[in-house]
Amino acid sequence: MKRLFLMMICALAVSFSLSAQALPDVRIENIDGKEIAIRDLAGTKPLIICFWSTTCKPCIQELAAINDQLEDWRAEAEFDVVAVSVDDVRTSARAKAFAKAQGWDMICLFDANQALKRAMNVSLTPHSFVVGKDGNIAYSHTGYTPGSEQSLLDKVLKISGKTSKTAKTKR
Amino acid sequence: MKRYLLCAMALVATAMTASAQVQLGEKGGTLSASIESNSIIYLNDKGLSTPAPEGYFGSNNYLKVDYTNGRFSAGLQFDIYAPALQGYEIGPYLEASKFKHIAYPMKYFKWQDKNYSVMLGDIFDQFGNGLIFRTFEDRQLGFNNSVEGLRATYNFNRYLAVKMLYGRPRLYNTYAGSWAGGADLSVSLGDIFRFKQGGLYLEASYANRYEGLHKNQEIDLVSRGMTSGLVNMASGRLNFDVAGVTFRSEYVYKGKDLCTSAASVAKPGQAAYAELGYSYKGFSFSATARMLDNMGTLVSLYGTGTGNALNYLPALTRQYTYMLANLNPYQVNVEGEFGGQADIYYTYRSKSNRYRYWNFHANYSTYYTLHTEQSKSGARERLWQDINFDIERQWSKRLKTTILYSFQEWNPYHGYHHRTYVSNIFVADVLYKFDRKKSLRVELQYLLSGEYEGDWAAALVEFNLAPHWSIYASDMYNIGRDGLGTKKNYYNAGFSFTYNRTRVQLSYGRNRAGYICSGGVCRYSPEYTGFNLAITSSF
Repeated sequence: MKRLFLMMICALAVSFSLSAQALPDVRIENIDGKEIAIRDLAGTKPLIICFWSTTCKPCIQELAAINDQLEDWRAEAEFDVVAVSVDDVRTSARAKAFAKAQGWDMICLFDANQALKRAMNVSLTPHSFVVGKDGNIAYSHTGYTPGSEQSLLDKVLKISGKTSKTAKTKR
Repeated sequence: MKRYLLCAMALVATAMTASAQVQLGEKGGTLSASIESNSIIYLNDKGLSTPAPEGYFGSNNYLKVDYTNGRFSAGLQFDIYAPALQGYEIGPYLEASKFKHIAYPMKYFKWQDKNYSVMLGDIFDQFGNGLIFRTFEDRQLGFNNSVEGLRATYNFNRYLAVKMLYGRPRLYNTYAGSWAGGADLSVSLGDIFRFKQGGLYLEASYANRYEGLHKNQEIDLVSRGMTSGLVNMASGRLNFDVAGVTFRSEYVYKGKDLCTSAASVAKPGQAAYAELGYSYKGFSFSATARMLDNMGTLVSLYGTGTGNALNYLPALTRQYTYMLANLNPYQVNVEGEFGGQADIYYTYRSKSNRYRYWNFHANYSTYYTLHTEQSKSGARERLWQDINFDIERQWSKRLKTTILYSFQEWNPYHGYHHRTYVSNIFVADVLYKFDRKKSLRVELQYLLSGEYEGDWAAALVEFNLAPHWSIYASDMYNIGRDGLGTKKNYYNAGFSFTYNRTRVQLSYGRNRAGYICSGGVCRYSPEYTGFNLAITSSF
């Protein structure tokens, strides 16, 4: 067992030498029930991808906070927000109803058997990613505390070669 | 244990400094991985009737590594237990096996082309709503019923999608000794006939499980009505989306089988599922109804535990994020039940200020026994009812409040006796942001009941310092009523630190015995007091 723990540490130590990961080749449902390939969303502008579920309170807080500020954020950079629900059949109908009522200005996807969650190595929700125009993952963070959504915009601006106006004016 | 803690510290330190995955040269592909560790140091607590487990320590750990190169991907997952946390059903399976601390590793090799894919290894998949087949992993439950075998999928444009798989399912740490397989077909009539208004899908699935009936002489399956080791299941589905209306439906027939490991007679099963949704601007409605008749399908007829399931039959009720509202969750009766739930959402947002809005939500769910023999009286008995609503108000950028009320009624005898317990639950939740980084959240909860354990009160205070720190303390006290209840206090305090994709949480507290539910599946967890260290990271 000691060997296995060492393996776990070694696996993480390998990550000192770094580079970007591409989006996995996984197909999941959109809000109309049609299957789409997640890779097809990348290519024209950066993406903020947020994994959430109806039973995850901080996930909903994070998406609500992003939605509240989206108009201001979009004035600074061009990007799309993708909200990926990992609700399974128990709560997937509720997740769709909830997302529609919220009027989120986002691309809503539904990962009912968590194929994308598994492929992107998401252990806990909320977990958010910033993906560049090239389809490579530029940043990710797990968990949510009110205010931490700013790091997503900061990364989008960084990969777009811009600086944040909202962070300076609203602090 | 010291060795483990040192390893955990080293792991955290390494994870904090890591930031992305490894690219193996220009054409070498990429490596990515995730790690999850959940450990508890158990303490003896005179206030609890359950003593701390032997060794006073438990630790569940998961390491997953994936390699991707173009259309090819492969992966490995190790589940390591040092030993398994108390209450996890994998514990007795590990004790009985040669390898006490590690489950059989998971692996896969996959080729994903534009229109087809082939996968060899441990497969997670679902047919339709999972009523006849679903393999998935839930680490909170210690649940993994993946099938080790071969899967192939094929898509013909948007018109047709078909998948087939066959293999041996997993039962906790090893393979069950049974074989499972099936096929799933989805035809998009909307695309074939070029409907412009929305989508129309006609779908069908077939799944089976084979297991020898004479593997264990101590378990006589034949006298319980199992005449064949092969169990067949089939389903048909009709789904459409048009003008804001969504409809999903499924009917399932299942051959003769024992629907639980304790079932005395093998019977054929059936299930029906329907889902209706509608949305318009800030309003949306969703309703689901389901009937189950002997629909439990075991991975192995010789196995035990909640993880011994080849299909997915979750409780279709509201799952709360508040402690007291989740005290007595509904558990599905796979022998027979019918019922449903409905949700209504409405959002009103100020046109002049995006930061001011109301969210209204109401939910109703109810379930009844299906067969007359399920109750002593022969009548259909109510198993569950929940009438609840919550109102969320964002007053300004700084202040948000939520109130929730839930009326819950549950039958402790699974419908056998005409007797239900009633709880009225009240919750107030306030979030205040001092500035862009500092925020405080307070929850106050009260459960009012003249039955079972009487009244409960609970409170939670959480201070957040974005983006790294969160500190919290909570308390849940059983006040009791008229001689009912335990008067026990369940306290918890801890903090979490997040750095990019690494999160570390340390807490100390006393935890109530009860059902841990995730995704509608519940497992019983005994009470304990102790320190809990949880680490997750990925790269």
